[in-house]
Amino acid sequence: MPRVDRRKFFKDTAATTAGLMLTNNLVKNTDDHPVRPVNLMQDLMKYRKIDAHAHIGFNEGDTEKLLDFADRLGMDKMCISRPVTNFSGNEPEGPEQVIKNNNLIIEALKKYPDRFIGYLTLNPRYQKESLEEFNRCVDQGLTGYKGYTQVKINDPLYFPLIEKFIDHKMIIFMHAFTQLGMAGYRMKYDIGRDEHCSVPEDFVDISKRYPEGIFQFAHIGGGGDWEYQCKALKDSTNVYVDTSGSNNEENIIDFAIKYLGEDRLLFGTDSSFYQGVGKILSANLTDIQKKKIFSDNYVNLLKRLGRNVN
Amino acid sequence: MLIDINASIGHWPFKQVKYNTCKTLLERMNRFGTEISVISNLNGIFYKNTQPANEELFDEIKSNKKYAGRFLPFGIINPIYAGWKHDLEICRDQFGMKGIRLYPLYHDYEMTDAALVELVKTARDSNMIVSFSLRMVDSRQRSWMDISQEWTLRDIITIIRAVPDGKYMILNIANNMRLSDEEKELLKSTDLVMDTSGREISNLGELIITYGKEKFAFGTHSPILDYAASLLRIETLRKSEASDEVRELIMSGNAQRLLGLS
Repeated sequence: MPRVDRRKFFKDTAATTAGLMLTNNLVKNTDDHPVRPVNLMQDLMKYRKIDAHAHIGFNEGDTEKLLDFADRLGMDKMCISRPVTNFSGNEPEGPEQVIKNNNLIIEALKKYPDRFIGYLTLNPRYQKESLEEFNRCVDQGLTGYKGYTQVKINDPLYFPLIEKFIDHKMIIFMHAFTQLGMAGYRMKYDIGRDEHCSVPEDFVDISKRYPEGIFQFAHIGGGGDWEYQCKALKDSTNVYVDTSGSNNEENIIDFAIKYLGEDRLLFGTDSSFYQGVGKILSANLTDIQKKKIFSDNYVNLLKRLGRNVN
Repeated sequence: MLIDINASIGHWPFKQVKYNTCKTLLERMNRFGTEISVISNLNGIFYKNTQPANEELFDEIKSNKKYAGRFLPFGIINPIYAGWKHDLEICRDQFGMKGIRLYPLYHDYEMTDAALVELVKTARDSNMIVSFSLRMVDSRQRSWMDISQEWTLRDIITIIRAVPDGKYMILNIANNMRLSDEEKELLKSTDLVMDTSGREISNLGELIITYGKEKFAFGTHSPILDYAASLLRIETLRKSEASDEVRELIMSGNAQRLLGLS
């Protein structure tokens, strides 16, 4: 399709909106306020990006899909995990599945050492097996732990594991949620959520118990009430929050900065790639703030843990 | 050229939204390079009698000469409320509106409601576009006063089947796009566009192959969703997925065609 002459187009457009009583003068005035030239791709590629919430192993070929989206969107490194989940109600969540999932991550790390940062997973309902699995994986180059909804983050079943993670300078990253009803507030609403899902108050609790731990609260864009989440976590300074999730409401990042500050937010996608990047590019942030969220905060988090950072 | 077919002004009663006036939306458009936005007034979703919302929209666009040519207003009509035919005529004839947005879930009627079918046929006869959003907000984090239901693409098929010669915009495709082969063919043969704001538009290159290059148009769902994600879905298409000509269609050409703009 041929490019449209802008001046002619505005005149035609104005003519069609007859009810708005436009005149030639108004059209001329519009032309006096030209749209700024914009290069979103340039802005996109300007920032180094570390995706603090990425997954593989949920669908066939999703490792390659993740790498493809990473290349499109200028993401350098992705923090990958494969927690045990039971979306259908018939999926195994026991120690054997945990081992399979961890092996998947370890293999991907070996295959793409420059692109992936790996996270361990466990099911703390199996205490003995979890400690054995931790010991099996501890020297495999994994940077953090990713848990799901089998056990709440502040359940005593987690305490011995959290102490291991802290000893080994690992990020403690947990699935989290908050909405009406179970896994949230105003419990009169039954929305079928898992009662063991961690909510912000659980993170507040555990981060007080272990002030030396570094916790990552998953996806404020994951469908939970992000205003509630940010307000609840405001004073928990050892809880970092990742911005991933499919919900890319316009004000989410600006609001998160207001309550959490610019140093505790970690860029993430959780496989919602366009929303993950878009919500940050769209926010009212300075260049330094974007740089922090896209990568610097994650690097600083590793430094805070005492890990060597390249 | 960039035309946004899915923007709004007005309030969302359950959460503060930014950039929801013509002034602030225009700043947003200038920042991201959008030249024209099709807008309606969110207030009309919550008024039982929607016409005052259309009047508010018309008055706001008229209030500043800078807005001329930058905003194309769409009315919000509630076909189960008295006087809607008169409202539609005013929207068309006095306010210069080239289309309408309908909210059956918020206005509490079914897609099969005879009043809806009559409204869509009336719009068709006036060459007006009819728009539906699969959802306005993510219902997982809804207010206790907001609706809990969302639509899939299949829900829209009902009205398209009833009025297949209408013109449609399907907005914020946030939920699954699964259709039978017959439904897909119906969608492809209808004069419509789907906007790029919804989370299901995760692989636009493949969707262009499935539905055709004429079926997609840039839309932000602003001020509710972030402004950049919908544009990134187009900007990051590879040459092998979309030629310059196809990109231009999605950024503005398809919207121009449907809106009847030269």
